[in-house]
Amino acid sequence: MPSLRHSCTAAALAAGISLFSFQAFAEPAGVLRVAVGADPATFDPAFNDLPVGNAVDLAVLEGLFRLDPQNNVQKTLATDSSFSPDGKIFTVKIKTGKTFSNGDPLNAEAVAASFNRMLDEKTGSIYRGLYASLGTVKAVGEDTVEFHMAEPNGHVLMLLASTAASIVDVKAVQRMGAEYGRKPVGSGPYMVERFVGGEGFRLVPNPRYAGDYPATLKAIEFSVVPEDGSRMALMETGAADIVERVPPESIDAINALQDAKVVTPPSMFSINMEMVLRGPLADPRVRKALNMAVDRDGITKGVLGGLGTPSVGMVGPGTQDELRKTFPPIAFDPEGAKKLLAEAGYKPGQLSLSFTCPTGRYIKDVQVCQALAGSFENIGIKATPLVVDRGTWSNVIGMEPDQRKDNMGMVGRATAGMDYTLYRLFYTGVGANRTGYSNPRVDALLKEGRATTDPAKQKQIYGEVQEIIWKDQPFLFLWYQTQAIGVSNRVQGFAVQPNETLVFDKVTVK
Amino acid sequence: MFVLRRLGGALPTLFAVSLLVFLFVDLIPGDPAQILAGPSASNEEVASIRKFLGLDEPLPTRYGHFIRGIWDPSAATSFRTHRPVVVELAERLPNTLIVSIGGLLIGVALGTLAGIVSAMRPGGLADAAITVLTLAGISMPIYWLGLLCIWLFAVNLGWLPAAGASTPAHFVLPILVIATRPAAMFSRLVAASLTETMGKDYLDTARAKGLSETRVVLAHALRNSLVAAVSVAGVQFGGMLGGSVVTETVFGIPGVGRLLVDAVSRADYPIIQYTILMFAVFFVVINLVTDLLTQWLDPRTREQERPA
Repeated sequence: MPSLRHSCTAAALAAGISLFSFQAFAEPAGVLRVAVGADPATFDPAFNDLPVGNAVDLAVLEGLFRLDPQNNVQKTLATDSSFSPDGKIFTVKIKTGKTFSNGDPLNAEAVAASFNRMLDEKTGSIYRGLYASLGTVKAVGEDTVEFHMAEPNGHVLMLLASTAASIVDVKAVQRMGAEYGRKPVGSGPYMVERFVGGEGFRLVPNPRYAGDYPATLKAIEFSVVPEDGSRMALMETGAADIVERVPPESIDAINALQDAKVVTPPSMFSINMEMVLRGPLADPRVRKALNMAVDRDGITKGVLGGLGTPSVGMVGPGTQDELRKTFPPIAFDPEGAKKLLAEAGYKPGQLSLSFTCPTGRYIKDVQVCQALAGSFENIGIKATPLVVDRGTWSNVIGMEPDQRKDNMGMVGRATAGMDYTLYRLFYTGVGANRTGYSNPRVDALLKEGRATTDPAKQKQIYGEVQEIIWKDQPFLFLWYQTQAIGVSNRVQGFAVQPNETLVFDKVTVK
Repeated sequence: MFVLRRLGGALPTLFAVSLLVFLFVDLIPGDPAQILAGPSASNEEVASIRKFLGLDEPLPTRYGHFIRGIWDPSAATSFRTHRPVVVELAERLPNTLIVSIGGLLIGVALGTLAGIVSAMRPGGLADAAITVLTLAGISMPIYWLGLLCIWLFAVNLGWLPAAGASTPAHFVLPILVIATRPAAMFSRLVAASLTETMGKDYLDTARAKGLSETRVVLAHALRNSLVAAVSVAGVQFGGMLGGSVVTETVFGIPGVGRLLVDAVSRADYPIIQYTILMFAVFFVVINLVTDLLTQWLDPRTREQERPA
């Protein structure tokens, strides 16, 4: 501790007598202990699919761009970017003189290699399809990267700001093989010092880092504790400073602790019952009736313990808020719903619907399913909730609409932006459109929105798409999940992105 | 010779296990490619990942690949981490073995002691107390007992860490909790079989030789009682490997059990297949060791003394 106190005093002195800010002199100090629920299999951004992996990638790697805690795009390695007049070439200028944590140069060639690795079919990246529109990536000189786009994409910044597009040291990947996934080499403020599978991992400052977010902590220690009760015990015993995923029933217990509290930032996770649009659900009146039958306020309070906000639009908060449009919440009106059903020709008890829900995928998913069945019974529908394991669930919701035997499936969507979410879910015949939704106007708008690079035009186009979707109701819109994270009072400057990524940029511990 | 013959005899069993595990894993709901790709992936993306994982190959080719992976680590890599399965297992196995073997040894020691005490004074206060504890030990689910112990020793008393595996102190609670089951089983078993043996004539002979009662019990009665106990210990150990799934989840220990559960929920086929195959090999070895121990304890079971 003396050295820590010494360095703090020195830093404070320096700040006092100089014109420079305190930050510029602050040495990394203190160890932050984080308990997470999910076991990251890999930090390799080409394969990582967990928020905890995003958090590590954000700290260890850098992208051309990044998202701030409000999901706004910021420049990281990039200094400037522009489209060619025909929209086919996207050019990014990058900072020069950067290196990876192992000393390898981070120049335009390294950036191009990182993207081309992800886009190579032989790599098997789970994000290849999402980034396919980037086409081929070429280095021009030391500081310029050109994306020769496979198709015009006005949302390229959103793609490049995701941690999946972080720049990896391809030479290190070739040397290390799969071990790269455990100790990724990047140019971020931290690096992975230790990784013990299933147990935890430790980040320490990267001495070669040069950028806007220098390491503030001597170390960040993560432990992986999947069992909710055991993870909460770490917070209660003071063995963790931050615990991820506080279950609703533990919120009061954590808040009752003297030196910790639960923060509940919004999540972009939009939970819906996605309908298979055929049979009774092809009738908009039935879809409307279902949407009116659900008491969203009651369920988010009673079942989710407050960890949900009733939906006011298909996409959740933080999904490109500048393009997002919200609407008045759908009123809970079982009487009106019954009337609509009668209009559609269904007497009470005549309509039966089944719906598929996963187990342990979303907050209280099984209980929610039971509550929804009750809501449907309440308006005279015979409801059959099919609660299945996650494997079966992923199979069912991944089926083509004409193969589905059920009528709806519970799915949460939290994705890399407006174009990605809406195009994949609602463009006619796209391989990820699982409802069978088809609307020529929406198709035209989505195509136009993808090609345009003008933000004002995008706002207008996506506003209209969101309005049509909200009116057409191909989903039973439910709520946006709320995150619940236990944070000790000794932690300061901690932030969370709406996609559940923990941000350690400015965290200090007392 | 006996050992070699027994191991040879296990080969068909292991072959059958490999075939079953390979085929059953295919029946697990969920397509690995679909799960990796996520709910928003298009059909084409899922198909591309399926091809990358080699899941579009015909069944016999995939089985051949699976068998090759037994000696060629580069042919057996996890779908999620891309590291060889043997590396993943080697990292996790020590934790599982420490907890299982530690739990078994402590459980057996405590159980035997309790059994002897019960048998020496049947119906006494100690016997009654041990019987109650034993019943509790047998009927209490490990999961619940584990959480109770965390609550008491970690949260309230603060003596031991709640979860993790980074220091030796982290292993104390899980080993003690997992020891309850063998302790309970053994105390019942040893007590019952000692009580039965105590009335045998050869013990009277031993007493008549002037041996102390303790010596009679430990050297003569106990050895005979242990024959049955050893086979139970073998079964218990096997059960513990299976039960490691629960213990490791509750105490946050990165062992093979949790690796397996995670692999099942993520449809990481190679991890599931090789882990189960490894457990099958363990069972074969445990059975062999149990038989050898039984033979050492009870000469009647040795085969050279059997009439041909």
